[in-house]
Amino acid sequence: MERRSLSVALTCLLAVAATVGRAADWELDLDARMVSTDGRKSFVDGGLGTLRYDQGQSGLRLGRIRFAASQPLGEVWSVRIDASDWGDHDRNPLDLTEAYLQFRPYPFDGYRLRVKAGAFHAPISMENRAAGWESPYTLSYSAINTWLGEELRTIGVEGQLDWLGTRLGHGFDLGATAGAYGWNDPAGSVLAARGFALDDRQTTLFGRVGAVGSGPLRAMELFHEIDGHAGYYAGIEARYFDRIVLRALHYDNRADAEQFDSALQLFAWNTRFNSAGLRAESGTGWSFIAQWLDGETYIEPDENYLEWPFKARFALLSRQLGAHRLSVRYDSFAVQSNLPDGAGVQHGHAWTAAYVFEPGRHWRFTFEWLQVDSYSANRVLQFGEPGFVRETQLQLAARYALGPLAR
Amino acid sequence: MRPSARHIRHAFPRRALVGALAFLLAFLRVGEALAATIVIAVQSTDGRPLPGAVIAVHSLAGAARPGVPVQAVMDQIDRAFEPDLLVIPVGSTIEFPNSDSVSHQIYSFSPAKKFQLPLYRGKPYPPVRFDQAGLVTLGCNIHDSMLAYVVVTDAPFFGRTDAAGSWSAEVPRGTYRVTVWHPRMREDGELEREMTIGEGDRTSLTLRLLKPLQPAPLQERGHSWDAY
Repeated sequence: MERRSLSVALTCLLAVAATVGRAADWELDLDARMVSTDGRKSFVDGGLGTLRYDQGQSGLRLGRIRFAASQPLGEVWSVRIDASDWGDHDRNPLDLTEAYLQFRPYPFDGYRLRVKAGAFHAPISMENRAAGWESPYTLSYSAINTWLGEELRTIGVEGQLDWLGTRLGHGFDLGATAGAYGWNDPAGSVLAARGFALDDRQTTLFGRVGAVGSGPLRAMELFHEIDGHAGYYAGIEARYFDRIVLRALHYDNRADAEQFDSALQLFAWNTRFNSAGLRAESGTGWSFIAQWLDGETYIEPDENYLEWPFKARFALLSRQLGAHRLSVRYDSFAVQSNLPDGAGVQHGHAWTAAYVFEPGRHWRFTFEWLQVDSYSANRVLQFGEPGFVRETQLQLAARYALGPLAR
Repeated sequence: MRPSARHIRHAFPRRALVGALAFLLAFLRVGEALAATIVIAVQSTDGRPLPGAVIAVHSLAGAARPGVPVQAVMDQIDRAFEPDLLVIPVGSTIEFPNSDSVSHQIYSFSPAKKFQLPLYRGKPYPPVRFDQAGLVTLGCNIHDSMLAYVVVTDAPFFGRTDAAGSWSAEVPRGTYRVTVWHPRMREDGELEREMTIGEGDRTSLTLRLLKPLQPAPLQERGHSWDAY
């Protein structure tokens, strides 16, 4: 199906939602930032910086305008949309990050089934647990989850079946999830071109990553179907009360890496990975999160096999005291390459420290310090810049949320 | 501690009065001694008092009637059930208003009472009647973290332990089965003891849990958390 058909399908979904009589639950957020950074030219502008903002963008910035709505369709169906403006001259000023139809039958005999159809995030991240796929701990997501928000979106169907042991007198719940999707064949191309980054800019369904023109990140459109093969993922989840969550997932977009779409100037990137995550929370306000990702992406132009294996992990420690939350995260990431000149090789680590003050359901203030030390072969090869770079970014964010879904 | 008066009011005061009189007459006729005080104390494994434990006292003589049905209210405020536990006699009803600005969708798949309240705000549904004794676990199909319990009991005497982990009642002399349950108890089912109220005016029983309590539900998290 062409991109246009996808657009039409989503528009229909919204139209259906709008015509159903029952009032929707909704939320409107405005997130403004004061930024100070020495970051290299940002990927948003086609550079190879690992931060959302670069040194030319210090000052007052728009972090995000977000509108989300949930519209019931009868008793157990609902439509959800999440639209954002990231304030950086993307193709559409307001575009969707997620739009899907959800089927939520009542749990039966201890089992709960959830089915989603549309465009949405796969259940991998342990930190992006808040509405709008935001992290309640930091402004910038970890390297792993930044990448997931940037290049991956399930445009298809996902089913999740949970056994609700905690509702049956046991100490744990178990869940299994599986997804089948298309329109994500270019996933992996940003990782090979730039490597990992740490930011909170989720690519919108009709938006782009990078800048129009030449360069390593030339306005990449990531949500296209190129080879007609559906991808899949399958995962499991275990929960110990509401204290510990464990997730593991295998992902494979099953792209035919020999395929090239000349109109889009895009390869089908075969991307597959394993991921695992742990989140533990104490009754005294402590939280610990760790995630791990290991995979590869490759293309096969003219019978060449060009491969970029990647690996990333992070650990986050957080403490909440009433309306205050302090979090520290350490990220480590690496992209390898089998190209003779090492194009695409990137590795580095990052420290993030954030203080969040949320005095009520409307306001949230965040102060974040983020420092990334990274080596990028492409910085040397394409820009003649130093390979090793330290980038630091300070952000002060004020977010105001409005509507019944707020908080 | 009985459920607070704010959430429960008696459905049939006249019937209750008649029942109480009949009960009194039965005593006078049989000529048994007057009632005595029963005191149940519940402790966790470390000996600390356990507030909020549900106590039910059944007569082993089998004659005593269940408690008088009540009309209770379990509200939904700030995406949580309020209160999150009610103990009601068999035949009671509970109203489930939604005071939140977002819709809720209440369900139970517990054998003692399976029911669903389709997506709603405000107070669109009549109260739900609980006709079978047992534990009913409630959830919201929209907000997975919402959790509440209804203990439907056919015991003539029941209640919850107070802040000092204690509960007491006036009961006729006789032999009773005392059961204890708490949402955080790890013991399979209920903790159970037999006790006889003999000559004394006051009989006490202290029950200590054999296994440590389960962790309490986490507080102070944003409501939109676990959206993914």
